[in-house]
Order: sequence, then structure tokens, then C-alpha cells
Amino acid sequence: MAAEHSHAHDYDDGAVHVHIAPSRFYWAIFAGLVLLTVLTVKVSYYDFGSANIIIALVIASMKASLVAAFFMHLRYDKLFNTLILLAAFLFLSLFILLTWDDLGVRAHDHGYAQKLSPETGLGAPGGEPATSATADDVGAAPEGAPKGAGHEEKKE
Amino acid sequence: MAAVEFPVAGGHAADGHGDPDANYLQATHGFRSWALTVDHKRIGLMYLTMVSIAFLVGGIFALLVRLELFTRGKTIVDGETYNRFFTLHGAVMVFLFIIPSVPAALGNFFLPIMIGARDVAFPRINLLSFYIYLCGVCILLSSIIMGAVDTGWTFYTPYSLQTSNSVISMTLGVFVLGFSSILTGLNFLVTVHTMRAPGITWTRMPLFVWGMYATSLIQVLATPVLAITLLLLAGERFFGIGIFDPKLGGDPVLFQHFFWFYSHPAVYIMIVPGMAINSELIATFSRRAIFGYFAVAMSSIGLAILGFLVWGHHLFVAGMSEFATMMFSALTFLVAIPSGVKVFNWTATMYKGSIVWASPMLYAMAFIFLFSIGGLTGLFLGTLSVDVHLTDTYFVVAHFHYVMMGGTVIAFLGGLLYWWPKMTGRMHDEKKAKIGFWFVFVGFNTVFIPQFIMGSRGMPRRYYDYLPQFEPFHKASTIGSWILATGLFITAFTLLEALWKGRKAPRNPWGSAGYEWMTDTPPCLANFHSTPVITRGPYDYHLATPEELSTGWDEVEAGAHTKKKD
Amino acid sequence: MANVSESMAGTERVGHDAHAHPEFLQHHFDTPTQQFNASKLGMWVFIATEILMFGGLFCAYAIERGLEPQIFDDAHHFLNKIMGASNTVVLLFSSLTAALAVRSAQVGKRNLTSFYLVVTLLCACAFLVIKYFEYSHKFHLGLLPGHCFGHPGLSAAIQDGQEVGTCLHVNAEAAPVTPEWVKAVDESGHVRLLPPRANMFFGLYFVMTGLHGLHVLIGMSILTWVLVKNIRGKFSPAYFTPVDLGALYWHLVDLVWIYLFPLLYLVGKPE
Repeated sequence: MAAEHSHAHDYDDGAVHVHIAPSRFYWAIFAGLVLLTVLTVKVSYYDFGSANIIIALVIASMKASLVAAFFMHLRYDKLFNTLILLAAFLFLSLFILLTWDDLGVRAHDHGYAQKLSPETGLGAPGGEPATSATADDVGAAPEGAPKGAGHEEKKE
Repeated sequence: MAAVEFPVAGGHAADGHGDPDANYLQATHGFRSWALTVDHKRIGLMYLTMVSIAFLVGGIFALLVRLELFTRGKTIVDGETYNRFFTLHGAVMVFLFIIPSVPAALGNFFLPIMIGARDVAFPRINLLSFYIYLCGVCILLSSIIMGAVDTGWTFYTPYSLQTSNSVISMTLGVFVLGFSSILTGLNFLVTVHTMRAPGITWTRMPLFVWGMYATSLIQVLATPVLAITLLLLAGERFFGIGIFDPKLGGDPVLFQHFFWFYSHPAVYIMIVPGMAINSELIATFSRRAIFGYFAVAMSSIGLAILGFLVWGHHLFVAGMSEFATMMFSALTFLVAIPSGVKVFNWTATMYKGSIVWASPMLYAMAFIFLFSIGGLTGLFLGTLSVDVHLTDTYFVVAHFHYVMMGGTVIAFLGGLLYWWPKMTGRMHDEKKAKIGFWFVFVGFNTVFIPQFIMGSRGMPRRYYDYLPQFEPFHKASTIGSWILATGLFITAFTLLEALWKGRKAPRNPWGSAGYEWMTDTPPCLANFHSTPVITRGPYDYHLATPEELSTGWDEVEAGAHTKKKD
Repeated sequence: MANVSESMAGTERVGHDAHAHPEFLQHHFDTPTQQFNASKLGMWVFIATEILMFGGLFCAYAIERGLEPQIFDDAHHFLNKIMGASNTVVLLFSSLTAALAVRSAQVGKRNLTSFYLVVTLLCACAFLVIKYFEYSHKFHLGLLPGHCFGHPGLSAAIQDGQEVGTCLHVNAEAAPVTPEWVKAVDESGHVRLLPPRANMFFGLYFVMTGLHGLHVLIGMSILTWVLVKNIRGKFSPAYFTPVDLGALYWHLVDLVWIYLFPLLYLVGKPE
């Protein structure tokens, strides 16, 4: 049979059609970004306790959204590209969260060096010498059951 | 009117890359036409050559490991060298062989054809990823020459911060290989999204393509974290940054979190392509549509996503918090579900199908059997309390060899035998292939079943020496390794022999309804003579015309003077 | 019958010789729109991989900060907020000029595109110069990662009255160098005493800003290449993809800094 082509028509005039914003729109976004930068620096001079980091991240995310949506054209682009960006952040947060649910929950206080063994009263090997061991350190129960089971396994 | 239109006349003017309608193997000649090719098929073959060599090298290390373990104490080498052998076996097999194997070799070759595209989205990046892979190979080789690493392929700190200098070159090699993997995944993702031919909707894509797509998602999201992990490890060794070193205030378990965040999804990079091949094999050799197509497709995506949530199960006894161990154990049980969906659906596909006992089907059936064992033993290991006893024993070794070798390698071999005629235009000797299969199957089980038993009785992994009660198991395992090696050599011989002595293959020797079988054997340079239009699914045996399904053996028999086939 | 437009997601196909090919259209693509969409999608997937790579460092930061909040609070006073803020504004401005360069290419103003690309490159240089000043200041105070913390200029500890190599590379017979306490004046003029454990903060600081700096250099090379191609007249309103993709890479570099700046320089108890 003769060469068959798909019958879809090419409406491209050889060009790609994209949304083109006026220059002053980009300048306006830039002005917004600078304002947010000034804001985040000013806010850093006040202490909101543990909210400090949240405020900083919120402002940073607002700046990032402006850059991503307008400078990187996501707002006028295919939705899937935005989904890719969001997916990256989603998986990153999974990584941070699940790692945190180990390391953040292990009852660390004052760093490694100041953990003293209840039996000998000596510091753990490595790290700096214990400077001021507190009462809570000495009495702290080790977190994580597997340690005991590990000993039993070795006896076999 | 054919449901799949693949007109053979007409075509395009030949450009500088060779006549698009000519057989891709003959369209252009000379070393440079291969070294600088941007044809995904040629790149796939180059990858295939390299991963086969890597498999051979990794396999030799495996044989050496098993040989050393044949008797207690020293058999052929001392403990230090033994540590290097198993490290190299692991590193070569994981990074040089199994991760690139199916995606870069078979995926590169068939993904564009299966979606009716002329090539992948970024052919030059495809070639670049091959050269990056070669670079990684060279760096890894140099690390071996520099004295090799003895940390195990997992490079755990703090030992990897203290041992020989080749750690930096080996981590650099793996870092480079990671980029090759990322670029392949990136290419496939964009290709599937933007280059499907008319009629190939998401619900008509072959399951092999779904599997490659899911694999690419993992490659793209997980491998960068490996890159940063290795960078930090190298930085620690070189500059002493201190993030993993307890003496400097760091945490060695943090290294394990970082490492396994990549390496667990990596095992899904290894198995999902194998499962993807298996879907194709089961459908073709049962001559039926895959039962529950959409469920199987979604299970690939499900594995890709869930695979990111379970990495902590490698750290159960490393010193993680209790809460984390419980979370990860629960999530690990979830990840078994998509695999189960696939196994059930393949079995259902075979029920009342017309089973053809060709060699690829033998491998496909073996996959179901061996992968099920591997997967189920994974559940043992995911159970927190049981893992405390089984972790770091031979049970784990047997488990992952069942899924990686009994799974991916078996599927890879099955896929090679299945697609060999399409790629090379030559038919291999089925009889030899089946003999090879049985040696592989028997040998594989002989190696690893004793390891399950040993492991549950306490034989630790990576140990150079062992207690007397384990000696019969080790001996059996080593003998099995020789049987397995024989089977692999027979299979390799069968495939290579076909290149010289194999009969010319017809267009569709297996009578499959798959899209790749509708085009020339071997494919022409541009894959098709003009853009195909698809109006049926890839497993729609009831919709395919007799002309599409005909194997073409009759014409070959009539035209050739070779003796009767099997 | 398949719904073709749904599966094509907006792209169209033609037979190969239906019309003359624009020079920039690669032959495995059917239309410029398909090629453009594929290129953009590819770039976004690549950006996702970069986010995950840097993300690993942010994870390490989050973990370490959670474990040693006091260290991070004390140590961050040694980072100069003004320099950091200036760098932020410089990068934001360069992002603006990169976006304007893309816009100029989209409307076919070749010289304007070159101008904006050059300004972007100059901003990048300014960023690196400011970075250099910050790094050398820390080098002189001994605010360095790992073993070198407390060893200004990479000096080693004196053992038995002798210098035994640099803190990075000690002579074979000598004991390993340990991090020392640092007593120095911070950016707001206060004297601070940092324990050796504070090496962790500076380790993260140098790795994160260092990797970012490496990406600035890579971005500069990419933009230079785009500039050269632009001068040679390769771009038009029909084809400006490399400018677009180069600018996207540059915006990524900016994005990473947008998060780095507050987390390293700003967050901590103010004076």
C-alpha cells in the first residue's frame, strides 16, 4: 500500500506558541522578591522562638513560588511540569520526615560526648571530653530495644 | 484493514545518518558509526555488551567468593582479600550490571518501538549516558587496581572513613554511574510523555513500557540522593566534614539513612523492569491478554512510590529509634501488595491460555516461582522481631539473591531469548537454550536454598570463616554455583552462536500480538517506515489479524535449506 | 477508536515529508511544538533531580540542627547577614535578567538577549566575589569544617612543640588533629566562644554553599554557551529553547539560594 501518514494536520507554522509577558511584569515580580527579602532579613532581628524557622521557610517558599511560577513560567506552562516540581519537594519532605522520626526521637541531649555510661561513669568513646555531665545524662535509659537482642545474638 | 498499520512502502529521503528504511545493523558501517551513533537500538546493544561483560566480571568474583567458602579457614585467599572479593562482587553486580541491565539495554532498544516513536526524546543524551557509564566503569576499575575496597558494597561508616584509599575512587565511580542512570530515566520519562504514536494511549501502552516508566520515576528521584551521599562520604574522607563521623559530632546511622534512601528504591529499579519483561513473556506465551492490565500497570507505579517509604528496614538493628523501626516495618508490609498483584495476575493470565513451552516462557515461569520465594522471605525480614535474628545472616543474602537473581536476572535472560530474533534477525537454538535454563534453575536453587537454612541457623554474612556445622551447606552452595555458571555459559553460548549460525528469523517467530513484533525483524533505522497508527491494545489477540500474528516460519522454511527446527 | 488528541497531549503528528523541516527540528520529532514540550519536560525532570540532590543536604541540616540547636544559634552569628542579603539580591536580579533574556529571545530581539545574558553573567561574577570574601574571612578565623575547626589557615596542632603538617594532612607518625575551640569576634562585634562541636555547622555551611557555588559556575558556562549561540544568530521566535533551558537552570541556582540564605544566615536567636 502507498505510504500512509497520520491524518492529523500540522497547525504549527513552524513555531512554538508561548505566553510572552511584558517586561515590566518581570520587574514587578523582582520588586516583590526584593521586598520579601527585606522582610525576611528584618524579621530575623526579632525572636519568635521556635517559630523563627517556620517564618523564614514560609517567606522563602513565597519567594520560591514567585520565581517558579513567573520567572520559570510554570504558571503558563503545562501543569505536569508543576507536578514534577511538587513531586520533588514531596519526596524530599518524606526523606526528611522519616529520617527525623529516627534521629529526632532518640533522646539526644547536649550532644554525644556527654553521654556517660551508667556502669562506669565514663564518656562514650570518641567525641570531646565530657565537660559538664548533668544528672539526666547519667540516668537516661537507652532508647531502642534492639541493643539487648543484639547482645543475645552474639552469645550464640 | 489491519488494526496496526505498518506500511512498508514509501519513507523519507536518506539523511546523513543512513537510510531510515534500511536494517539498523547495516544502515551505516564502521567503528565511528557505532561509537558516535544516536540510534537507540545501537546504544542498547552497546549497553548490552557492556553489562554482559560486567555480569561476567561480577560472576567471576562470585565464583571466587564461593570457592573460598568451600572449606573452613583459608581455601584460596586470606580474609583481607576475601573482603575485597565480596565487596567487588556486590559493587560490580549492583552498579555495573543489574541497575543498567534491563533499562539501558532492553529498555533503550524496545521502549521507542513499543510506543511507535522513531527514537527516544534525547538521542544525544542517550549516547552521553552510555559514555558516562563507560567512565564510571573505568573509574571503578582503577579503584580495583588501586587495591580495592573491603567495606562491603554498602560503604558503611565509620569503617569506610578509615579504610584504604580506594574508597574515594570507588565512590567517585559510583557517583558517575549514578548520572548515567539518571539520564536514562529522564530520557524515558520524556519519551513516554511526548512521543507516543497516534492510538497509543496510556491504557494501550505495553506493560513493558509501564514498567520502564515506573523505573524511570525511581531513577530520577532516588539516584540524586545517592550522589549527595557519596559526595558527603568523599568529603568526609578528604576534608573531614564530620557529618557521619562520631568523633567529629556526626552520626554513622545518618549515613545509613542517606544510603538506603537511594538503595532501597534502587532494588525496585532492579526488579520492576524484570517484572515488566515477565508481563510480556506471560502474555505472548499464553497467547492471552494480561489479566487485569490496569492493575498490573498501576502496581508498577505503586512499587515505585511505596518503595520510597521503606528504607529503614535495612536499619532495624543499626540503632534507630523504636518508633522509626515500627513505622518502617508497617510500611514494608504495604510494599508487598503490588508485587502480589502482579504474581496473581500473571497466574490468572496463564489459566486457560494456550501455553507455549518456549525457552523464554520457562524463564518467565521460573521468575514467578523464584521471585515469590524471594518476596515472601522478604516479609520474614520485614517483621521486626524476626529480623533481629535474621539480619546480617545468610538468610538476607539468599533473600536478595532470590529477588535480584531469581527475579531480575532470570527475567533478563528470558527477555534476551525472547527478543534476540528481533534485535539480531537470527533465531537461536531453542534446545540449547532450554538445557541452559535447566542448569541455571537447578544451579541457582542449589546455591541459595542451603543459604536460607544456614542463615536461619545463625551463619552471618560476609564472614570469611565459619563454624563446622555450616560446612555441608557451604559446600552444597559452592557446587551449585558451578552448576549455575555452567547454565549461564550455555545460555550465553546459545545467544552468541545464533549470531553466526542462527537461521534467519521471521518477523514474528513467537506469534505475539505485541507492537514490537509488527515491525521489521530486525527493525529499520527509523523503526518504522512511517508513523504507525494503532487501533488495538498490545495484548488483544482477539483483535489482531491473522497476518499480524503469523509467525512467518512457513516462508522461512520454504526459502531456507536448514534442517527441521525443534 | 482512541481519542488522538487526548493521547497526544496537545501535540500533532505528520508524515515525515509533508513539509519542509525547520533547521532546528531534530528528525526524531514530528513538530517544533513536540520538540519544545519534550525539551521543557526534560529540563523540569532534571531540575527535580537537582532538588533532590540539594535536598539531601537540607535533610542533613535539618537533622543536625535538631540535634544541636544551640550550636547552630551560636555559630550563625559568624555569618555576615549583609553579605548574604546582598548575594541574595544579586542572584534575584540575575534571575530577572535571565527571564528578560528569554523574553527578548521570544520576541526576536537578538542584541537585547545578549545584553541581558551578559548582565546575568556579571551578576554571577559579583556573587562569586562576595562569596570569596566570606570564605576567606572564615578561613582566617579557623571557622572550618571537621578537623580544621579552630585551625586558622589550615594549620595543624602543635605536638611536642612541632608543627605536624596541616589539619587536612598530618604526618604519618603524628596523632590526628582534633578540632579546637574558637574564640573570635562575630559579625555584630561580640566575642564568642564556639566549642569544637560547632565544626558541624561550618561543615554544612561549606558543603552547601560550595555545592551551590559549583552550580553557579556550571550555570555560567551554560549561559556563556547560550550567549555565543545567540551572537551567532541561532535563535528566533520560533526556536529559543536553549535560552529557555539555560535560564531555567539559572533560576534553579537562584531557588536553592533562596532557601540557603535564611536557613544559614538568618535563623537563630538574634542578639
